[in-house]
Amino acid sequence: MQKKQELYKKEIRLTIIFSVLLLLLGHSASIFVLFPSLQAGSFWGFPTQYIVPILLGWFGLAIVCYIMTIVCNKFDDEMEEFAKNASSEKVTEKA
Amino acid sequence: MPAEYALSNVWIGIGVVIILFAIFYYVGWMASRKTTSDEDFYAAGFSIGPATNGLGMAATWASLATFMGVIALIQKLQVPFVYLWIQWAISIPLLTLLYGTSLRRMKAFTPATFIKARYGNASTIVIVVWMTLIMVMYALGQMIGLGRAFELLFGVPYNTALVVAGIATVGFITLGGMYGASYNAAFQMIVMTIAMVVPMGAIMKAMGSSGWWFPPLAYGDMVPSMLEKIPTFFDMKYDFRWYFSLIPAFTLGPVALPHLAMRVFTSSSVKNARWAVVWFVVFLGLLFTGTYVAGFAGNYFTATTGREIAKPDQTVLILNVFYNPTLVAAFVMGGALAAGLSTIGGNLMAIAGLIGNDLLGIVAPDMQASKKVRIGYVALAMGGVAAILLAFKPPAFLVTSILWAFGLLATTATPAILLGVWWKEANKLAMMISSISCGILFIVISPHVIPSICVGAGLPAKLGMSGGMVTIPLSFTMFIVLSIVFNRMPALAEYAPTLEDKKVIDRIHGWVDDYDEARYNGITWPIGFAIVCMIVFFWGLVPWS
Repeated sequence: MQKKQELYKKEIRLTIIFSVLLLLLGHSASIFVLFPSLQAGSFWGFPTQYIVPILLGWFGLAIVCYIMTIVCNKFDDEMEEFAKNASSEKVTEKA
Repeated sequence: MPAEYALSNVWIGIGVVIILFAIFYYVGWMASRKTTSDEDFYAAGFSIGPATNGLGMAATWASLATFMGVIALIQKLQVPFVYLWIQWAISIPLLTLLYGTSLRRMKAFTPATFIKARYGNASTIVIVVWMTLIMVMYALGQMIGLGRAFELLFGVPYNTALVVAGIATVGFITLGGMYGASYNAAFQMIVMTIAMVVPMGAIMKAMGSSGWWFPPLAYGDMVPSMLEKIPTFFDMKYDFRWYFSLIPAFTLGPVALPHLAMRVFTSSSVKNARWAVVWFVVFLGLLFTGTYVAGFAGNYFTATTGREIAKPDQTVLILNVFYNPTLVAAFVMGGALAAGLSTIGGNLMAIAGLIGNDLLGIVAPDMQASKKVRIGYVALAMGGVAAILLAFKPPAFLVTSILWAFGLLATTATPAILLGVWWKEANKLAMMISSISCGILFIVISPHVIPSICVGAGLPAKLGMSGGMVTIPLSFTMFIVLSIVFNRMPALAEYAPTLEDKKVIDRIHGWVDDYDEARYNGITWPIGFAIVCMIVFFWGLVPWS
């Protein structure tokens, strides 16, 4: 029962965290509008408000998606393990 | 003097197009030999590996606009349009995270397959109608672009170009089904990326950039000259609400696009669907940064040479004709065609799935699998023929920007899918009422139908950003509030979720037979979300400057 609750809470937590991260990376330009003082300086010759959203929307997103894949696939393994145990317990009960 | 696009030797262009189509037909023919069941036809037998699927996802997402419309809009709006484009990349990761893997687990062919299992037949018809309308708009836009591209390339009248390009395209897509669409899309992504990025290196070198060896990110040394000529190029021209309004319309809309979701569903496993997303981001990022360079270079070209680009849609082609050999320019044209074809492939597969599987499944639920496949082929071909016929003289309401249609999809379908997957209280009647009423409201308050009744003004209104900021949160709120109310009214008990409906939710989240009533239930979080939605709704109603 406790394991079930843990898995459920973990699924919700992972979904919220990665949703927020994806939104932040895709919409990082908004941060430069909210905080205009960040629109100073340059990186690789470009104004920061131009290049940072591009880099975050490509490499930043790729890194987060890589982590998301590792973490969510590991979570799937835990779920499969739980489902397997739950169904074998049911079979034992019936026997 | 205005720069005009023209290949110096049209036969080179014809040769490139013939070679590309020969490859597409060969792939389609090979794929047709593997298609023996409805799973093969609609979902490529759930067998596509991560790298191929990542390429396919990127190709399906990147349309003809990547080579044409976007660059024109960067010319017009400059950097804010780049920001709008950057956020497209999160659509498939978000879709996969929020419902893609869950629906892949139930082996859905389209999002409507889930809608049917979760909400029943009447709700499925509502969602299928909205999604099909949007897919037709999407395919129509690509078909018109394809006809114009052939017209330009071969110098033939638009109608002739449309018939030849349309039939040739529908032919190879119908032949191959989802297997063909997947492998062709992967190949098309490679073609379009090379066509966008490599020739741009030569263009940047000719323009004097020391970073020509990596065009997507190494043109920083051109920035001072650019700022000298166009001081406002990098300015963030709009207020915060403009950028925020991208989220409801342009992030939540594509999340429900059936042709993108279907790419996730074709994955060989749930885990490989996630790996495919990583590849998707890498490939799409490379192509998109190529697009931003083209937009930058187009502005730079006009500012430094004094030449006006008469048709900004053709910027990337004009730059190639101007700076590169004819063969390279023809290949770039081939890349643009590949971009259009991969998207049409996805659109037509979605129409076939929605009509041939989801809608027909309601009318004839006991139909044999072999007959379903035959009907699928017919639906696919008919969808293509309809798009060609509409493209001859397109109805005004259908040529409205596809970006506008994203807001319509976010209003009508996204709440049904997301709340259906994550909330057991989601009620069938509430879904239909919120989807239909808010969908109609979105159309009414856009400037395209009744200009006198319009939320917002200018580009945000035309693209559905201002309208979406009103109807999308309203749709979510109505759905949540009506669900809570209807589920507690005995007179409406037939619309309340049944135990079987709720079990679908636990099952697609991976709980197999372990059902728990408390899971994905409750009203605190949904009410909190509805309150946030209402704040956004009222913010959207504040007059736009």
